[in-house]
Amino acid sequence: MDTAISTERHGAHASLAAVGFFDLAHAAAVLRAVEDAPSQLRGCEHVDVDLTQLARIDGTGAVMLARLLDRLDNDGLQSRLAADRNPEAVRLIALYRSRRNEVPVRSAGAAGVLTRLGAAIATLPGTARGALDFTGRCAAAVPKTIASPPSVNWGSLPVLIQSIGADAWLVTSAANLLVGLIIGFIGVSQLGRFGATSYVPELVVVTHFRELGALITAIIVAGRSGAGLASEIATMKVSEEIDALRSIGFDPVRWLVVPRCLALVIVLPILTWIGDVFALGGALIATTTMTDMPIRMYLTATAGAITGTNFLAGLIKSPFLALAIGIVACGQGLATQGGAAAVGARTTTAVVLSIFSVIAINAVFTLLFVVIGV
Amino acid sequence: MAGDRPHIIVEDLRVAWGTRVVLDRVSFQIERGITFAILGGSGCGKSTLLRYLIGLEQPQGGRIDIDGVGEPHRYEGIPPFGVLFQSGALFSSMTLEENLALPLTTWTSLRGPIVHDLVQAKLDLVGLGPFARHLPGEISGGMKKRAGIGRALMLEPDLLFFDEPSAGLDPITAVELDHLIVSLSRDLGITVVIVTHELPSIFLVAENCIVLDKQAKGIVATGPPARLREESTIPFVHNFFTRSSPGASATEGR
Repeated sequence: MDTAISTERHGAHASLAAVGFFDLAHAAAVLRAVEDAPSQLRGCEHVDVDLTQLARIDGTGAVMLARLLDRLDNDGLQSRLAADRNPEAVRLIALYRSRRNEVPVRSAGAAGVLTRLGAAIATLPGTARGALDFTGRCAAAVPKTIASPPSVNWGSLPVLIQSIGADAWLVTSAANLLVGLIIGFIGVSQLGRFGATSYVPELVVVTHFRELGALITAIIVAGRSGAGLASEIATMKVSEEIDALRSIGFDPVRWLVVPRCLALVIVLPILTWIGDVFALGGALIATTTMTDMPIRMYLTATAGAITGTNFLAGLIKSPFLALAIGIVACGQGLATQGGAAAVGARTTTAVVLSIFSVIAINAVFTLLFVVIGV
Repeated sequence: MAGDRPHIIVEDLRVAWGTRVVLDRVSFQIERGITFAILGGSGCGKSTLLRYLIGLEQPQGGRIDIDGVGEPHRYEGIPPFGVLFQSGALFSSMTLEENLALPLTTWTSLRGPIVHDLVQAKLDLVGLGPFARHLPGEISGGMKKRAGIGRALMLEPDLLFFDEPSAGLDPITAVELDHLIVSLSRDLGITVVIVTHELPSIFLVAENCIVLDKQAKGIVATGPPARLREESTIPFVHNFFTRSSPGASATEGR
């Protein structure tokens, strides 16, 4: 049996019969039939609605028929349901007609590019103020922490050092090893053209110790732990755990952010140092396999290149990069509002922002070293 | 409709978590179109039984047969029953309107204004008409449960399961929700299965019930709640319906 609405007209009077299955499974056919019906009743004044030929009706079909009847009423037609036949269908339709709340369909038009650009720029001052405000709160938390050490969750520190540092050394070291290999290969191929392969060890030390070691390690930690910290705190925020902390008088910045930032500040220089050693190993492999330089000679040249300045210039940046990762990740986590999707969005933002800030801070340090001639 | 055949048949159901048997040799039937309650104290396995009835778990023994569905854990396709979870289980990042539209747009080709109409009709039905644009975080616990019922009704099921519908609600909101359940069951002619331990709900809503007991690992009584309260001689059932502790019952000499 096809789902349809048949109409018969006798002058100003019409009879309308719903035929077939008016249910969810036939929703598309019901919708077509209901949308076509009013055009066939143009000019009528009275409509008798016959529901006896319905094979099945459920809520979906009833809503569609209810909306059809509403529309006929709005068009000034007088519709009449034959209530004595098929009372179940009549009752169901009446149910959906009696509890009607008019809520307009949301306008589907998406905002234009300019509108979205404007909206994004308009939020910038607020975002910047929020970021500065949070950084200020973190800075203010330091003296408070010194004044009242129990307000920090010190018990979580060893676990955090384990998860941010000990669990990450393999991946940061592997990345540094590969970068060392790359610098070694590039050094051999480029300096070799001038017969200057003996300067490769120094190139590696200067490039990696001063710049890339700290940067590569911080980027890996930002991606790995930044995401972890942001999603953890964001989940705590949406499940009201942060509110619970506040309600028992804890400052979330001191209780959560301080130990996380501290753990990062402790482990990032260590990870950087381990990474530096692996990078030297990578460059050693590249150089000794591509040239006939003996390992002993390479090591001697490397040892000569590792000056205090080269070594410290890299390591001194690490705590600042660590702080940037911690503040961005925890700040994004604490700023989360809404549900599961907001947690995902904040985590993504935290990773992107912390990697960007790590690169920016590294650039500032490089510039500073150039200016002061280190 | 399948005439006089029971809507749900459970035969010799065995439920175990690892080696710990929670329910053993549980058999009961639920007639079509009635409101049926699964009762029992905390930890007796009533919410676990619900997980098996809605097909989330595969029984370790016995059989569950839902008319028109067969064994629920094997069923694929448009879910023929709706479920209201304890918290409402709304998707927190979607508005109520989007929450309700999701089953419809997933399972049908309907799009655009008609989806809005169908969603709005269900929201009106559960009394949340004006809240279509709200996020779950912006409405009260009772409203979340109403919205959960609305979503459960979107695919026009003829069977609804409720897990502790009045849990966490104030008495007035709980009664309102009970009345909503009764009126939906009557107006839509659907079978309703409620897992609960709230006595006021039980007497208001349930036409028939089973009582589960932790010690017995199964059903200790079956029948209309009012009759069980008046006539049952089983101590646990009597204590359950009269809200007395075993000690109190003993001192009263019952």
